[in-house]
Amino acid sequence: MLIVTRQLVKHFPIKGSSVLGKPLMLKAVDGVNIQVREGEVVGVVGESGSGKSTLGRLLLGLLKPTAGHVFFDVPDDVLREYDDYVANNELKKAADIEKEYSIFSKKRDRQKEIRKKTNIVFQDPYSSLDPRLNILDIIMEPIIATGYMRSKEAVNRCMELLDEVGLPKDFAYRYPHELSGGQKQRVALARGIATLPKFLVLDEPTSALDVSVQAQVLALLRRIREKHNIGMILITHNIAVISYMADQVNVMYAGKIVESGLKNDVILSPVHPYNVALISAVPGKKVKGNKIILKGDTPNLVEPPPGCSFHPRCPVAFNICGWTADEVAADLKYLIEDKYADMFKGETVISTNGNGNVMIRNVNISNLKELLNLEKEKSRSLAAIDRLSESEEGVELELKHYQAPKMYQHANRLVSCFLYAPRDEKLSSQTIDSVN
Amino acid sequence: MEDTLRVSNLKVQFYTRRGIYKALNGVDLYLMQGEVFGVAGESGCGKTTLGLTIIGLLPVNAAVTAGEVILLGERDLIATLRKFTSKGPDKFNLRQSEEVMKKLNKELANIRGSRISMVFQDPMTSLNPVLQVGFQIAETVITHQPRSLAQRKLARARATRDDIEQIMKLLKEGADEQVINRYAESKGLRGIENQVLNVWRRSDLGEAKKGKIIMSLHSEKLGSFEKMVLQSVEKRKNIGGWMRVPGLSRAAKNVLLKEGYIEAIELLSMLEVPNPDKVVRMYPHELSGGMRQRIVIAIALANNPELVILDEPTSALDVTVQAQILELTRHLKQRFNTSFIFISHDLSVLAEVCDRIGIMYAGKIVEMAPTEVVFNKPLHPYTKMLIKAIPTIDGNEIQGIGGAVPDMRNVPLGCSFHPRCPDATDKCRAMKPETVEVEEGHFVSCFPKR
Amino acid sequence: MSEAELKRRKWDNTKLSMSVFFANKVAVVGLIIIMIYVVDALIVQFFPQLLGITNVGSLVPNFINPAPSPPSMAHLFGTTYPGVDLFTSTIKAIRIDLFYSVLVVAIGAAVGSLIGVISAYVGGLMDEIVMRITDVFFSIPYLILALAVGFVLGRSLLNMSIALAIVWWPLYARYTRSQTLSTKEFTFVEAAKASGVSRVKIMFKHILPNSLPPVFIQISLDLGSIMVIFSTLAFIGFIANASVPELGYLTSLGLNYVQTAPWTVIFPGLAITLFALAVNLVGDGLRDVMDPRRRS
Repeated sequence: MLIVTRQLVKHFPIKGSSVLGKPLMLKAVDGVNIQVREGEVVGVVGESGSGKSTLGRLLLGLLKPTAGHVFFDVPDDVLREYDDYVANNELKKAADIEKEYSIFSKKRDRQKEIRKKTNIVFQDPYSSLDPRLNILDIIMEPIIATGYMRSKEAVNRCMELLDEVGLPKDFAYRYPHELSGGQKQRVALARGIATLPKFLVLDEPTSALDVSVQAQVLALLRRIREKHNIGMILITHNIAVISYMADQVNVMYAGKIVESGLKNDVILSPVHPYNVALISAVPGKKVKGNKIILKGDTPNLVEPPPGCSFHPRCPVAFNICGWTADEVAADLKYLIEDKYADMFKGETVISTNGNGNVMIRNVNISNLKELLNLEKEKSRSLAAIDRLSESEEGVELELKHYQAPKMYQHANRLVSCFLYAPRDEKLSSQTIDSVN
Repeated sequence: MEDTLRVSNLKVQFYTRRGIYKALNGVDLYLMQGEVFGVAGESGCGKTTLGLTIIGLLPVNAAVTAGEVILLGERDLIATLRKFTSKGPDKFNLRQSEEVMKKLNKELANIRGSRISMVFQDPMTSLNPVLQVGFQIAETVITHQPRSLAQRKLARARATRDDIEQIMKLLKEGADEQVINRYAESKGLRGIENQVLNVWRRSDLGEAKKGKIIMSLHSEKLGSFEKMVLQSVEKRKNIGGWMRVPGLSRAAKNVLLKEGYIEAIELLSMLEVPNPDKVVRMYPHELSGGMRQRIVIAIALANNPELVILDEPTSALDVTVQAQILELTRHLKQRFNTSFIFISHDLSVLAEVCDRIGIMYAGKIVEMAPTEVVFNKPLHPYTKMLIKAIPTIDGNEIQGIGGAVPDMRNVPLGCSFHPRCPDATDKCRAMKPETVEVEEGHFVSCFPKR
Repeated sequence: MSEAELKRRKWDNTKLSMSVFFANKVAVVGLIIIMIYVVDALIVQFFPQLLGITNVGSLVPNFINPAPSPPSMAHLFGTTYPGVDLFTSTIKAIRIDLFYSVLVVAIGAAVGSLIGVISAYVGGLMDEIVMRITDVFFSIPYLILALAVGFVLGRSLLNMSIALAIVWWPLYARYTRSQTLSTKEFTFVEAAKASGVSRVKIMFKHILPNSLPPVFIQISLDLGSIMVIFSTLAFIGFIANASVPELGYLTSLGLNYVQTAPWTVIFPGLAITLFALAVNLVGDGLRDVMDPRRRS
């Protein structure tokens, strides 16, 4: 296994948000298990706020994780041993393996090896090349820094690389500002494969390029991958590009992987509701079935909704997926102000409070209980109400706590959705303490 | 029926210290009422310049050397600029240019925002960060249609409970817009019909709530100052005369502003913004990208323009949000009778919303046809290669286009695509091809293969 | 593209920069004034005889006729107390002022920029500490700080320069710090990290060359302000030596005669002001050259 992660977590503290000492955390990556085999192209698809760019940097060791591990170049049997140790709580033995294979190892020569065998290509060609260096120096940088070759051989290697990416040799002495976007991206690619790495992270490599240039760069990427058998993580929001390049696909939402499997399965027959909406949202002439238009916006990573983080927008969410106070409040507002308007005279004020519960003022509690009884079956969100407590402020409706779904096996892939959870889990998932 | 817009032989260039960039080299297009016309092209093809020229938002170093932009058969929008700059390419005088631009801006001031409006790529920089979004929507209505605002409020004041009950009855019977309009007109309540219909058509409220709101639209009390302002504006059709006295003008504007906010709420609910009454009081940074873009679109549509130009409106948005906005555009097409020009580098996006598409290359439209024709029967080599370069979900083979976009300071002789064209002949290298209507509605600028 | 074409491209670029600069008329005027000052300093340094100057490093008093006399053929700018010819003194003083101003800027910039870059790049606690230190320096009025330093080190021109450099470096530290903070975010820095380049090497190879040039412009514009402050210190009597040719000191000599003999104050004062003005005008032109939009 070239790259594998175990429960990778990255939280960013938000500056200046400390209330009572503990700052709010932006949960960019929240428990991700991902793997890349040698020579395999693994796609990571997601929108803004999905955490995919953060994940890319974590996989390369450019960011240190808050929790979890990233292993590089670990043999499959060692990996199985590790998982066994963890399952059996043999932490010391597990720690030894971590020390040996972690990408964050402090040992100097291990770091150098890792840097030689891995690299990254960024999205923006304009800022990923140092404007003060000429192309030759830019491409040579990883070669010299990792000690892969000495300077004379390094120059020759650079010329080879320029050739391989389809740039004329005299570009070596030019400066980045003299090159077009597509040409710059080729230079970035040449730099990326300069030390013949085994693993390459590509963060939106063609998003800043015109369609015709993108096609050329993608074709080049394919050639390079075949020739050198480089394992890649391809991060992009463009599903068509993933379809062209990748073998395996992971779909990310709100810092978690929601669906993972072979490209054709995940893209052509998606199962996770988010993935279904995402695939149907891709513009194009061939529209398979109806378009699913999601309501709402990309998720808030600071206070993710309890339960499944997609449920507020999910068209097929049901009881155990979780309900936010806002949703319950919205439903109640409709019921109280509209449907049962005659039952409630006077101005009721419905709001959500800091505990994640719903607060209603100026309401008669027995009328409220009657409404809840009548609507219990019809309005799904009301199932989230655990109990009512009356105070001088009004009536507080405490909501149940929900758990996030795990990854379940379904239709030859992994899906993180309660629709596909094993039956016993669906039934028992109801009043479980929250994971938050 | 008159074309909403007709552009003929438009040639625009820019003077810079590095030379003269010929951005548009003879663009011809027409736009019919109620249709969505897509302008596709890669970077440097001139599509943004085309959009800016139509609305006259050009920088001082721009020159229109030829061509016309005619709105609804009446008005050549850029006549002033063209008359000035078609004299000679080498004579660029900064001061004179600034003068002409000022003149052009003055001429177009009451067209922009009311008959033609524009939506740009980045909603964050299109909105003023220190003003509430409701204010920004209301402002455009106050600037261009203050009278309609005044009428709305006055109509509510004049209407009696009976009048409104009558209207409710008509609505429940399923009467259409015409009938309601006529009724309102007959009772001297012009201005009430839009309000009623906007509430009635809201999809985020239950029928009971809608009824409640409509039933409250009568016998509204007006303060004496308010009444004075509204009646003056109704008569004068603008905020002028005594209302221009400093001190009073602010108060007068505030009267209209309050009504403007109400209209903004109606507009936002039409654009499927949840909780519009809360949203109008928010600031741009409190909203997500998709919401902001809806606000910008609301501002663009507030005065029922004949033409809306959208320049890459979804390029800065996520795929799912983009799908929302495209769906919205489809609804708007049906609802209003506005024509849209949709500029994008992404052909697949254009395939979703456009009726007709024009493909641009090096400052010219090289092919123009209805959407299905462009995708199923493309004729121009560039169009064909562009379509082949787009990756699709089924992972098809793609092919790039060799070479690069030409330097617009030295456009190649003959057909500007010939250096990259696989079918180029000597004729292509020597002469510029004419635009030919190959079949009805399908135009190509290419020499046919023998 | 061949070597020759590359060279021609570079020359075209330089021509463009020059044409943008020279399009700004006032900037050109400023440049001419600065050139005059520089030429003056060079002549006085190497060929004083050309201007008939014998005592390069000191003022020549005339005790026979100590009262200030108005400008005349013999004394182009008049004389000041005690009978010092203003014209030659001003010419001598320009050399001194120019030299020491440049010295202050050079030392302050060298020390300040380095601290600023390192502080911003390392970040964390070190950055906080450096920021607080600069805050302390900013809150002390520069005159008082300079005087204090002067008392400790002794009141000479060189020590005055050192005092000013000590006062000034925090400003340059702040400039370079903010430049570095934005340079740090460029992805080529991350790419270098991913390629195995050590942190120190990244700082010298990538951060410094990209952070410093924009700061150089700002620094050279400070030359005008520095000269004004330098002269101010001399004016209020910082220097012990009573016969050093220095513009501020010269101005102070005429202080008692402002009403009766205004030329004693006007000419040296004007020499200071003119320089500061010229530097600002040139700075305006340089900004035009740097700004990509005005280049069109």
